[in-house]
Amino acid sequence: MFIMKHSINRWSDVIYWPVIDLLLWGLTIKYVTLLSSNPQKVVVSVIAGLLLWTLVWRAQYEISVNILEDLWSKNLINLFVSPLTFWEFITAFLIIGLIKVVIGFVFTSFIAYLLYRVNMFIFGFYLIPFVLLLFMTGWWVGFLVGGLILRFGTKVEQFAWSMISLLSPFTAIYYPLSILPNWAQTVAKFVPTSYIFEGAREVITKGILDPKKIIICFILNCIYITLALIFMRKSFDKILQKGLVKAY
Amino acid sequence: MDILQVTNLTKQFGKYKAVDDITFSLKEGEILGILGPNGAGKTTTIQMLLGVLTPTSGQVSYFGKPFHLHKEEILEQVNFSSTYTKLPENLTVSENLTFISYLYDIKNRKERIIKLADLFNLTGLMNIQCSDLSAGQMTRLNLTKAFINYPKVLLLDEPTASLDPDVADFIRKFLLEEQEKFQVSIIITSHNMAEVEEVCDRVIFIDQGHIVANDTPEGLAKTIDTSHVELLVKDGLKRTVEFCNEKGMKFEIKGRYIVIDTKEEDIPILLYSLMEKGVYYDEIAIEKPSLEDYFLQVVKKKHESSSD
Repeated sequence: MFIMKHSINRWSDVIYWPVIDLLLWGLTIKYVTLLSSNPQKVVVSVIAGLLLWTLVWRAQYEISVNILEDLWSKNLINLFVSPLTFWEFITAFLIIGLIKVVIGFVFTSFIAYLLYRVNMFIFGFYLIPFVLLLFMTGWWVGFLVGGLILRFGTKVEQFAWSMISLLSPFTAIYYPLSILPNWAQTVAKFVPTSYIFEGAREVITKGILDPKKIIICFILNCIYITLALIFMRKSFDKILQKGLVKAY
Repeated sequence: MDILQVTNLTKQFGKYKAVDDITFSLKEGEILGILGPNGAGKTTTIQMLLGVLTPTSGQVSYFGKPFHLHKEEILEQVNFSSTYTKLPENLTVSENLTFISYLYDIKNRKERIIKLADLFNLTGLMNIQCSDLSAGQMTRLNLTKAFINYPKVLLLDEPTASLDPDVADFIRKFLLEEQEKFQVSIIITSHNMAEVEEVCDRVIFIDQGHIVANDTPEGLAKTIDTSHVELLVKDGLKRTVEFCNEKGMKFEIKGRYIVIDTKEEDIPILLYSLMEKGVYYDEIAIEKPSLEDYFLQVVKKKHESSSD
């Protein structure tokens, strides 16, 4: 939190960019849907998709960038000569990330309501599992990127910004999965977020949700989180073996 | 009582052995110097003692407990400072110390930070961002950080490098006080041999990953049997040079001075012989062998063996 105090950049990550995205996409889609028979539904599904996707992106970004921040400031040595455990190190990132993402989500949801009359409470209680499962996806991608950064250093720092976008085409954030070609639909079956965004569209259009989607998404996320944490831990052990936590 | 026991510690990177089967201990309240030329394995050893580098083999135990099994518990009582490490530069001095105090779960953190900041003359810098600190101020901050958790074992890498002589002197006195008052055990690496001689109870000398000596600073210096006799020759410099050449003594002419290397027991004979040859001198200074001489001898041997 001390870093946040001194860094306008870090606050712009929380508020500025999500709002800019919201404005650009919102206005674009409004224009596009002028021709649609039910423009408000399109607006709702796109804006809601955008806000929900922000949760995934921000959750992974907070983990990756906080690790990078410690690498950039050469602070890892100070952390790991202290009694801090690896798991405390991870938990701290999750807590700070959670706080920042929730602040950003609440703020952008409010803006979305003001500008486009998109109410995120349209999802009712489904919003809770949606948010939690999207966080889980963001976390495992964050752990994966964190593991890569620990192992290969700042030369792979670009993954912190770009890795999550690999999932986005298969997530079907702004369009139904049926639009994707068959091979991509098969890939999407292994992408947990695809179940959430399909489910969100079901809630918007039909007002119901198939609970199977939540369960499959949860199971996939659990598997991926476990694998990503193992990878990150192994990466950490590797840097201890190679001495890449450079003291000097 | 041994606070730290290092047994057969080895670190291998591929085929290169950076540290090769070293064994030593650190007693309660002892200040131990680790010396050696660049690349000798000092930093690798310190990193293994801090748990940021996994040994290839061997064991490190603190307070009788294996380090790898009780790492967090042990690190609560250990701390580290190096001139070459940094604290996040975008935080203020106060924020960095507060953050570190949370890492060590210091109960009376405000009082502790105020006390240490006062001691290390950082009080006026508490709200300054670390990016704006001078090298000396950063070193003082690193030392403040190292004392924050009332450590029983301190690992200090070049603790006074980049400090003004008066501040460096204060730090040395502070370390000796802490050792006396709280029986803090300290490991120091330094290139300042005079500093090591002043503060260290014992020195281990590492070269090419091996411990080549383990003794008191005086004991190590005594292994060098050559003293330096410095004379300000008034009359007879040529005769002095001839005498040295005749006896096969090493010498160096520095302006009006000649410095002759000779065994301590041969100094009276040297002076008597010069007197017999009618050499007159205005000043004489005899320099006994120091830790620096020992260091230079080891480095010289290393260079000779590598050029062979």
